[in-house]
Amino acid sequence: MVFSSLFFLFFYFVLFLGLYFGLPQKCRNWVLLVFSLVFYAWGEPVYVFLMLGMTFSDYCLGLLMAKNDARPGRRKVFLILSVVIDLSCLAFFKYAGFIAGNFGMLIPSNAFFRKIALPIGISFFTFQTMSYTIDLYKREVEVERNYGEYLMYVSMFPQLIAGPIVRYKTVKQELHRRVITWDKAVDGGLRFIYGLLKKVLLANRLGMLWDEAKAAASLSTGFAWVGAVTFTLQLYLDFSAYSDMAIGLGQILGFNFNENFKYPLSADSVTDFWRKWHISLSSWFRDYVYIPLGGNRRGVPRQILNLAIVWTLTGLWHGASWNYVIWGVYYGVLLCLEKFVYGKYLEKAPKLLRHLYLLFIVVVGFTVFAIEDFGRLSAYLGAMFGINAAPAAGNALFYLQNYGFVLAASAIVSLPVFPALKSRFEGLKAGTRKVLGTVYACVVGLLFVVAASYMVADTYNPFLYFRF
Amino acid sequence: MTKMQKGILVGFIAALTAILGLLTVILPKKDYSENENRYLEECPEFSFENIKDGSFMSDVETYVSDHFAFRDVFMTVKTYYERATGRNRINDIYMCGDGYYIEEYKPLENADRIAGAISRLAAAAKEQGSEFVAVLVPTAVSVESYRLPATAKNASQAEDIEKIKALVKAGETAGDSLFLDVTDALVRAGDRDQVFYKLDHHWTTAGAFAAYTELCKRLGLEPLERSAFKEETVSTDFKGSFYSKVNDLLAKPDDIVAFKSDRLKLTVSYPDKKVETDTLYAEEYLEKKDKYSYFLNNQNSFVEITNANASTDRTLAIVKDSYANCLVPFLCEHYAKVYVFDTRYYREKVSDFIKNEKVTDVIFLYNMYTIDKDTGIKGIE
Repeated sequence: MVFSSLFFLFFYFVLFLGLYFGLPQKCRNWVLLVFSLVFYAWGEPVYVFLMLGMTFSDYCLGLLMAKNDARPGRRKVFLILSVVIDLSCLAFFKYAGFIAGNFGMLIPSNAFFRKIALPIGISFFTFQTMSYTIDLYKREVEVERNYGEYLMYVSMFPQLIAGPIVRYKTVKQELHRRVITWDKAVDGGLRFIYGLLKKVLLANRLGMLWDEAKAAASLSTGFAWVGAVTFTLQLYLDFSAYSDMAIGLGQILGFNFNENFKYPLSADSVTDFWRKWHISLSSWFRDYVYIPLGGNRRGVPRQILNLAIVWTLTGLWHGASWNYVIWGVYYGVLLCLEKFVYGKYLEKAPKLLRHLYLLFIVVVGFTVFAIEDFGRLSAYLGAMFGINAAPAAGNALFYLQNYGFVLAASAIVSLPVFPALKSRFEGLKAGTRKVLGTVYACVVGLLFVVAASYMVADTYNPFLYFRF
Repeated sequence: MTKMQKGILVGFIAALTAILGLLTVILPKKDYSENENRYLEECPEFSFENIKDGSFMSDVETYVSDHFAFRDVFMTVKTYYERATGRNRINDIYMCGDGYYIEEYKPLENADRIAGAISRLAAAAKEQGSEFVAVLVPTAVSVESYRLPATAKNASQAEDIEKIKALVKAGETAGDSLFLDVTDALVRAGDRDQVFYKLDHHWTTAGAFAAYTELCKRLGLEPLERSAFKEETVSTDFKGSFYSKVNDLLAKPDDIVAFKSDRLKLTVSYPDKKVETDTLYAEEYLEKKDKYSYFLNNQNSFVEITNANASTDRTLAIVKDSYANCLVPFLCEHYAKVYVFDTRYYREKVSDFIKNEKVTDVIFLYNMYTIDKDTGIKGIE
């Protein structure tokens, strides 16, 4: 199920909220658990048992760690067991085909491995459940004794299939007791609606333009760049829309998830970009891989090695294909260059220049990210840099007419324009604020109706981040 | 927004969502969508197998979107939003002046297939000593290109027609002389009349009449004057195929005009439907969505028309798509027998038929908009 589908929004969600708020308070966790499991089973009627198995094993290993509190050796064994089990599942279901494809001669019957379908959201929930056992080992959280509540944490439908990666310690309190206020629920509802509008009215439309660019028989340099920028905007809007909806839904239900994006396209260096893009993933790698490996505390050569490991894994996390690895390594290299080579000069460069530098890197990076096939990727990159590019076709006006609005609106939403306007707005007189507020509310209401009409009319509704 | 405004907004949206969901559940369901020309999803069956393979879930989602409350109102909202935000092409249809919709024309992919069919049919006609003429009817995208928005992008039908001609020439002896170009006639007729429907991909009867006059000149027949016909508006509510693609409930429907004649004494037989009648028109379609099927009773693989009152004793085989359906009534004036073949459905050899029935004239008539997708055409022998 996806949030921007008719079935979810107009039926499943309505029924869920009715029961969640209609039944006595003590039933809430059960309602949430049942609806989460059905939500997952809706797309993965078989793999739902994989998720149940993985959470159950981590739950049990957590109990064992708690039972052997005074025996560090055993605790360590249980932690290793947990990590090995989780990563093996991830490796088997996500990477077996990739490994079989690249090192096929080593594995008998590799056709079998290539056929394994990727369970939806496995990369997300594996990292969530691992965060629990690791934090438990580090004594940063207490043991969870109720399997139902642990399962609810991992399977909670707002963030289950496309993040953000919520850590157990972030929501631990709220799993047992959460305060729901009307104002917070309304804010959550608004957040969800913004996400929905972003997804349906912007990201999906951009997707159609990107599909045209990707499928074009011959690409001019200009159109190749338009396509690459379009994909960059689409990916950001699509993914951050999902996080908006997840955070908003969480808020309605009484949870506080951490922010996952902070206008990454407004960043002015690669380092800055990764502080603002998919924060729950980069901080996961920082806290559970980079720092345990020693981070920057063991000298520069070791730090570079650690960065290399983290960024190869980051790339690989996004998909079982070499282009993702290249994309990860690309950022690893750029981060090293900023840290050790030209970072200090970059800081002195004019702000606009720094932004352009970052946008250039991001757009080229996402082009690598977007196209898995190497032949097509190199043809596309070639066209962007004028190698074998077609002469400019006369269709620019057509695309401007048909996609100009959505591109402009996407750019505005992707940059921190609204926060800037909001602070201006606060300074206005109360009367003006009220009028503007009414206008704004009407626009959002109308856009919701438009978004619903797109959902009715469209079969075009893919969520990009499902593949990861 | 103040807290109050936020609350009202979220409350409004939540209520709207719940009400639409509820209405979708309780409102009566339709089985068939005329506008889309398809049966809507039936209520899915709940079983262990269907759940295990996920088909139950995907069927539920299709069911919900097929039967969503006020579905066509929402489609219209989407269309207006898209137009308001500058889009001039929706589902490949350009929004043109005066309420016209014109579909984007994409380059021909099957020129070989088309040229092959024309060559084979021409050869069969030649062997029999029959007259042969191929008409590739240009559609609104080229005949009335002035209606298109300035930023529209289209392939050229004229170039594609030349491409087909060149392929025929390369393969056979005849070449150019096989073809009749009706573009100029349609352009001239377009100055006076509406030659294409606004909301459908077909030409109007006036458009067909212009082509009829050219065909007569080519085949050595005396074309009738327009005044020889009684023009009758048979429908004022025709919302055709483009309407279904664009979904604008407020679009102004077309009129359908038939050019009626009292000279014809017809026996029309439709072997597919096992029907014999004395008219070329099927009134019942005027009550349905697919009103163009009024002409020549929708789609038939083969129709045999006898006119006891024809101006000549010649016989005609016309191999065609639906564009010919409103043209055939004019041709019937002149031919004692007209045999109509629709290659999308006809599975016998047309060339054998021409030989056996000693047909004197053969017309090949297709429009450039659908000919590329017509796979039956390769079966012409």
